[in-house]
Amino acid sequence: MSKATTMPRAIVALTGVATLTLALYGGLAQAAPTVGQPAPDFTVTDSNGVSQQLSAQRGSTVILEWTNHDCPFVRKHYDTDNMQALQNDAKAQDIVWWSVISSAPGKQGYVSPAEANALTASRNAAPAAVLLDTDGKVGRLYGARTTPHMYIIDPEGTLVYMGGIDDNPSANPADVKTAKNYVRVALAAMENGQAVEPASTRPYGCSVKY
Amino acid sequence: MPKIASGLRGKPENVTLGLTGFRPLSWLAVILLAGLLQAFPAGANPVQTPHVQAHLVSEVVAVRPGQPFWVALRLNMRDGWHTYWRNPGDSGLATTIDWTLPEGFTASEIHWPYPERIPVGPLMNFGYHGEVWLLVQIQSSATLTEAESLTLQAHAQWLVCEEDCIPEEGVLRLTLPVGVESAPLDPRWSEGFAATRRALPQPNPWPASFHVTADALTLELNAGPSAGNIVDLTFFPAEDGDIDHAAPQTVQRDGSTVRLTAARGAGSALPEPLTGVFVLQERLDDGEPAVHAFTLAASLAEPATPLAYPVLAESLLLALLGGVLLNLMPCVFPVLSLKALGLARHAHESPGVVRAHGLAYTAGVLVCFALVAGALIALRAAGEQIGWGFQLQSPMFVALLAYFMFALALSLSGVFEIGGRLMGVGGHWADRPGYSGSFATGALAVVVATPCTAPFMGAALGFALTQPWSISLTVFLALGLGLALPYLLLSFSPALLRFLPRPGPWLERGKQLLAFPLYATAAWLVWVLSQQAGPDGVAAALAGMILIAFAIWLAQTVRAAGRGWRLTGRVGAAVALVLALGLTRLPNTDLEPAHAAASPSSAVAWEPFSPARLAELQAAGRPVFVNFTAAWCITCLVNERVALSSARVAMELANREIVALKADWTHRDPVITTALAAFGRGGVPLYLLYSPQAAEPVILPQILTEALVLQNLQTL
Repeated sequence: MSKATTMPRAIVALTGVATLTLALYGGLAQAAPTVGQPAPDFTVTDSNGVSQQLSAQRGSTVILEWTNHDCPFVRKHYDTDNMQALQNDAKAQDIVWWSVISSAPGKQGYVSPAEANALTASRNAAPAAVLLDTDGKVGRLYGARTTPHMYIIDPEGTLVYMGGIDDNPSANPADVKTAKNYVRVALAAMENGQAVEPASTRPYGCSVKY
Repeated sequence: MPKIASGLRGKPENVTLGLTGFRPLSWLAVILLAGLLQAFPAGANPVQTPHVQAHLVSEVVAVRPGQPFWVALRLNMRDGWHTYWRNPGDSGLATTIDWTLPEGFTASEIHWPYPERIPVGPLMNFGYHGEVWLLVQIQSSATLTEAESLTLQAHAQWLVCEEDCIPEEGVLRLTLPVGVESAPLDPRWSEGFAATRRALPQPNPWPASFHVTADALTLELNAGPSAGNIVDLTFFPAEDGDIDHAAPQTVQRDGSTVRLTAARGAGSALPEPLTGVFVLQERLDDGEPAVHAFTLAASLAEPATPLAYPVLAESLLLALLGGVLLNLMPCVFPVLSLKALGLARHAHESPGVVRAHGLAYTAGVLVCFALVAGALIALRAAGEQIGWGFQLQSPMFVALLAYFMFALALSLSGVFEIGGRLMGVGGHWADRPGYSGSFATGALAVVVATPCTAPFMGAALGFALTQPWSISLTVFLALGLGLALPYLLLSFSPALLRFLPRPGPWLERGKQLLAFPLYATAAWLVWVLSQQAGPDGVAAALAGMILIAFAIWLAQTVRAAGRGWRLTGRVGAAVALVLALGLTRLPNTDLEPAHAAASPSSAVAWEPFSPARLAELQAAGRPVFVNFTAAWCITCLVNERVALSSARVAMELANREIVALKADWTHRDPVITTALAAFGRGGVPLYLLYSPQAAEPVILPQILTEALVLQNLQTL
């Protein structure tokens, strides 16, 4: 144990630094909401300059879709019209669909309100609103980490699903057809008054560009 | 964290495309190209994509029928870009390989080198920069003829990211001849395969467990003596949701246990066992850093109770009781008797003075306990395998203590007076009016107490040593308070003080009488030295004691002499003292641990303890008695003398075919420290009786009697 003299300082310093960082760390997962618990409330301005508040939608199911139009995984679902089809189905069921962009200015996926609306038009997308979460507050509140990353909140304001859009983590557009779409599975379960299963899955995609 | 095979990293030479983001056309081109490659047999190798050069390489130059061989998908990434490990972390995607192989061939899963943590904003990815080799073992078909050549086709897909991510892929084809002879290794790749193998996680050599709280997951590795070398640890979970990937991981070392704590992930249920890879940085004995990766499969442990207050309260109470009982142990008794004499002198003075003495004594005890505990905690934090009484494992300390006892005894015998500026622990502390004398007595009581263990102390100290330092220290101080308590109460109770006899000439006689237990203590310490440092150690210590006696005599003799003589005498005395101190620089000899430590007359055939021997005996269904002891542990010696070496115990052991193992902790011994820790103990004695019918042993009390031992043996 000849190194005893050199070790304590290293360990003490290491532990100290680590503890400090842990103490200061406001992590994503710690903020991440829990399925079955009330979804955290937020207010954020949409691409039309309207202030949207989650709790104001009580009584309707709300779907949050984290997105970044330049992310290959997002393109996989828009280029195949998979996402638009989901949005239209949601609309038909009076479900509120909010696309959330948490990209910081200068980062991939960041858009001005006008660009956001142009994107919606050019892609034939049908969200109820596109939320511009430029400072990433809502993204961090929900622990959103990939694009796409999906959240479903029931009419009582309870988070009932969070995770991936489907079960095939690939960037290959051809996989959309064969994948099991978790959002569709969840909406069907809610329609039938059943518990959502799976309620939490691993999201896949690009990192959210905070 | 060092990168994998860092020596191999090279820039792909022909990356000229300057794509920094996703471009639909290039993506389409890649897909089209891949389609073409799949359609036509002429696959490229290497394949160049905008961000990666992919290369399929084989370790052997030819395939032997029926033999497995290794290939690697080698990815050279553009500077600053990374690809992913099997658990990519918060985002990203693991690289995949789809094989098209000749008839009868199979490919293993990818063998992943350990990854690095790659932060992306507030998120964390696990993956590789620069260059990575993903190894796959191919099993060849047994029915191959030499005329054939074989083509392995790998459709590799990877996501490559800087901050933006690009999915890329390539179809790689590798053609190898069949060789019936032992196939030589391809010298071009041997270094790369070797370097990658060094980065493959190995089976975890240590017991591992984990426990969780509402928001943290703690991984515990019992790394044994290796714990001292570990400077950093990183855990990469196999599954998503086990831990918060991005949260910093804290590493704490506590003796042989290394704990890694990370914030919990979003996953509500943790898998059991918890799997993944941990990477540790080690500082080897020569100071060289080394990195090792191990696969982890940790089982769920009972929830840790670092701050279980009922347990803490119980431990504090046990420590207090143990401290009180320590007063009755042979180690401290002579010192306390002296203190009592001092008290008798002051008893009939003003109550305020007596009380102040009591407080000064308590302060001395507590300060000294804090120092000993502080040293113990700090050394354990540094990875030393030590426990209660650790200082007595150092021959130098034992020799110094022997000198000290001897000098003190000489003083009590009236040979000299420690006075003036050397006051403090002197022979006249008992009647010094100053409170520093009382303080010093308290400190002395602690110093002499350590060779003894009182009942209740083992459990309390064992608990203390597994706790954070603040709690450890609190338990130690409770023990100190217990030690000081009887005297403190006495000094605060005029009613009790009245029972003490009035001072008189008997005080001086009593003091002289008490010199003899101190001489005996010195003699015993020399005997401990004989176990630790052999005959040379004994000779050195005895010579040192003679030098001390000479120094004292010289200093006393020249006191009344002229100035010149007085100076000469004092210099001479100082030289003698320095020589005596120099003699304590005893080599900590490699003497075999003293198996005779118990008693030479012992009729019990003790075998040396080792965990392997214990396991072997248990496997063979033999009952086992284990005696954790040390030559410097008076409690242990008394137990061995009184109970364990009796003829009846020996006969009972023999009749019941109980194997007696002795774990001798006289010397520092990490194996024994670890074994003690397994029973929540930080010191000796500890007595265990293993029955073949029960997995857990019976733990006998720390103070043994013959009847008690016999009674336990007869339950087998």
